[in-house]
Amino acid sequence: MPSFAMNIVAILPAHNEATRLEAVIQATEPYVDAIIVVDDGSTDQTSVVAKAAGVQVVRHRQNLGAGAATMTGIEAARRLGADIVLTLDADGQHDPQDIPAMLNPIHEDQADAVFANRFGRRNSIPFIRRIFNAIGNCLSFAATGLWVPDSQCGFKVFGPKALRQIDLRMNGYEFCTEVVREAKHHRWRIVNVPTKVIYSEYTIAKGQSFANGVKTAFRILLRSFIR
Amino acid sequence: MNDFTPYQIFVPLASFVALAYAWNLVVRQKKSVWEAIIWTVFWGGIAAFAFKPEWLDTLGRLTGIKRRENVATVTSIGLLFFLVFYLIIRMEELSQRLTNITRDVALREAGLPEKKPFDSAQGGKPK
Repeated sequence: MPSFAMNIVAILPAHNEATRLEAVIQATEPYVDAIIVVDDGSTDQTSVVAKAAGVQVVRHRQNLGAGAATMTGIEAARRLGADIVLTLDADGQHDPQDIPAMLNPIHEDQADAVFANRFGRRNSIPFIRRIFNAIGNCLSFAATGLWVPDSQCGFKVFGPKALRQIDLRMNGYEFCTEVVREAKHHRWRIVNVPTKVIYSEYTIAKGQSFANGVKTAFRILLRSFIR
Repeated sequence: MNDFTPYQIFVPLASFVALAYAWNLVVRQKKSVWEAIIWTVFWGGIAAFAFKPEWLDTLGRLTGIKRRENVATVTSIGLLFFLVFYLIIRMEELSQRLTNITRDVALREAGLPEKKPFDSAQGGKPK
């Protein structure tokens, strides 16, 4: 499919990101045709900021989690006629300048889904984050049988086939593993692209706590068993 | 040839049904081979312990359960484990329903057009 015919939509799942959202939207806009902000039950001005920026806003009345917000964004993108969907965190930890590199494998028909790899290039990543991500990768592999070098990253691109087939049921952060499962299940062609990551005090504070990580790990294993 | 107890007949049969169900889901592409392997290891283990209860002696040495009378306690714990497992599954289903309702309301309030004529849960195949 020729790339010029493709409608590219960016999804920003956001929970209490009013202070960061506008900058992320402005940095993302040049690379996509439309942006959908999924306000996941925020108690701050996230929706107001997004609407003021002129993007499509879908608002959960209550906080469901990153996975549910991502799936809502995907569903909204389908309804808007998207051909390609990319997801990135609304806290500004991903660099939108990486979007063209992430889209390339889809445009060149080399992949159905593209995963960002924060460990594929020199990035300043806190040691504890590296440990958590390594554990997440191992759990994802145990649950799905597919090794992805950065399975827990929220920066992903889904091509037409993946966009049509993806069906996420996990509400929380464990959805990252579910995406890997979907990739294995539907036999998507996967490409991992090294990307930049910007860790700040803000993004670290917004990240998962150890207790959340344990809960996520439990849910990954439980889900992989009962699904 | 050993005389099998009802337990040694019923449990492996139940395990066989669970395994057949799991691999049937694989054939119907609703479960991955990897997940079916996890099921196979779990249910295979249960069937194996039913056939060879003496293997539990190893567990007995680890857990301190030596008297066979305690099997009632262990069975009760197993039953409770199953009930908890069942409740978790039901809870997940309810959570999924709540998510779907919240999502539908959010999409409707956003004024987005109705669903395209394909169902994501069916792998994007036309209805």
